[in-house]
Amino acid sequence: MSTIAVIAGAVAAPRHRRAAVGASILAVLVVVAVLAPVLAPHDPNAIDADRILAGPDLSHPFGSDALGRDVLSRVLFAYRESLAVAVGSVLVALAVGIPLGLLAGYLGGAVDSLVMRPLDLLLALPALLLALSLITIIGPGSGVALLAIAVIYLPILARVVRSSALAVSGEDYVAGARARGVSGFGVLLRHVTPNSLGPAVVQASILMGFAIQIEAALSFLGLGAQPPTPSLGLMLADGYQVLRQAPWADIFPGLAIAVTVFAFMLIGDGLRAHFDPRGVTE
Amino acid sequence: MTDPLLQLAGLSVGFGDVSAVSDVSLDVRKGEIFALVGESGCGKTTLALSVMGLLPGSAQVRGQIRFQGDDLLTLSEGARRRLRGDRISMVFQDPGTALDPAFPVGEQVAETIRAHRPVSRREARDRAIRLLAEVGIPSPAERYADPPHRLSGGMQQRVVIATALANEPSLLIADEPTTALDVTIQAQILGLIRDLRDRHGTTVILIAHDLGVVADLCDRAGVLYAGQLVELAPVERIFESPRHPYTRALLAALPTAAAARGALPVAGGGVPDLADPPPGCRYSPRCPVRMDVCVRVPALVPSEPAHATACWYAQSERMA
Repeated sequence: MSTIAVIAGAVAAPRHRRAAVGASILAVLVVVAVLAPVLAPHDPNAIDADRILAGPDLSHPFGSDALGRDVLSRVLFAYRESLAVAVGSVLVALAVGIPLGLLAGYLGGAVDSLVMRPLDLLLALPALLLALSLITIIGPGSGVALLAIAVIYLPILARVVRSSALAVSGEDYVAGARARGVSGFGVLLRHVTPNSLGPAVVQASILMGFAIQIEAALSFLGLGAQPPTPSLGLMLADGYQVLRQAPWADIFPGLAIAVTVFAFMLIGDGLRAHFDPRGVTE
Repeated sequence: MTDPLLQLAGLSVGFGDVSAVSDVSLDVRKGEIFALVGESGCGKTTLALSVMGLLPGSAQVRGQIRFQGDDLLTLSEGARRRLRGDRISMVFQDPGTALDPAFPVGEQVAETIRAHRPVSRREARDRAIRLLAEVGIPSPAERYADPPHRLSGGMQQRVVIATALANEPSLLIADEPTTALDVTIQAQILGLIRDLRDRHGTTVILIAHDLGVVADLCDRAGVLYAGQLVELAPVERIFESPRHPYTRALLAALPTAAAARGALPVAGGGVPDLADPPPGCRYSPRCPVRMDVCVRVPALVPSEPAHATACWYAQSERMA
């Protein structure tokens, strides 16, 4: 299987090539997700009583599930949903976390405490518990799952940005920019920010991989996407009931999660090498 | 040449218990190159940063820093920012860290112009390229967009100097501008600083621990020891007839061709703990001519119109 060859090659490759492989896999996955309605051979929700737990064949390469629905079509649509939630949650966390982390790290002192203490509080709560409470308050659904994951990630990303902003603020070139008369805000915007974002970008890429897993976990628990919306987590939950008779109902959504996480890890690895060329052995 | 451009009066800087600069008073005259000399940790950089207004918030500053008539310590942060990079600018020790690695070098010059002048991007860019040419960067238009790491250390320092000169400052503070550079490049950078003074009349404060550099380039020198100004004189006087025992020790420690065959001369002792400095003259614990009176702080007393020393022994020597 060519996927295995790609994975084996990627693990052996130097870091910058790993990032390229990761990015290529992800690019294919994104295209697949976007084009899901075109690529799907069947209606993902069409129930076919004749094909209950039917194995893979030419017209249904991934087989059918307990309701006779086409697993390939469902994986495609579910993947679309999962990827949107994963990417969306990290983007939301970045949009809030980057400014907060920058302000805390750059201004320090009282601002630092004011911004970081509440975030530390969030960090202290178990992630899943946090998500569960949020979903209990608002009600289940993909949008809420996205929000819950963003809330879990916000303190992590804010901390990463804060610590690099703190380090960058102590650099000579920041003092140099101030010595040239650049305003405090100008220094933050033009000198501290561009030099502080590298670690957050690396972290964000890795967190996107985990977000796919969290989204699947929430859906698996029935707290994310609601049936009949196809969702990787829901498919795992359903397929789990019939694992012995029809493993394909579980294997393919599982594989979709694994490959995505893997692609994000490769990208994160490569980005880290890019932003911090020291300490990298090729 | 005799108007003071910058006057420090009783300037003291402390960080908590540490007294980094203690009661320093001196004038820097328009158009001169003034050397601030002393070993590491004697307060040279702290002094420079207090003039720039770049000390951390935890620093306690007392005294006066008068620049073109204004006491800088009474100005608002906004007013001080407007002076920085415009009327007063600074060149840092290590050009490798003083330039933003993620910022094209030319843009750092242009940014300095735009921080103070209402000019368009294009105009700032053109001016920045002219400045890069002036400090001796070959094909400045092509170098403009280069990140700092593409340039050699000497070229980086030229860029730093270009940023410092961007708005034709009255005062340029150069904090050991050649310490991080190769010896051959050092001479070029020092030559560049002298040229700029000659051409633009910029007043320069050169911070140095290398007396050789000072001898070549500077008009007058102030010697700092553990935050106290111990001697202030024209550079020839410092070399020909130093009066403070510390200045003499510094000069004796200069490696010369004759001494280079043997062990290098070393000044005995070490800098005192500035959190608990010795009372009176801070050099007294190391001083070969210490007297009982040295537990009181000696005043900076002129022995000749241009030469002043803060030393009880030097004064008694003169009386005798």
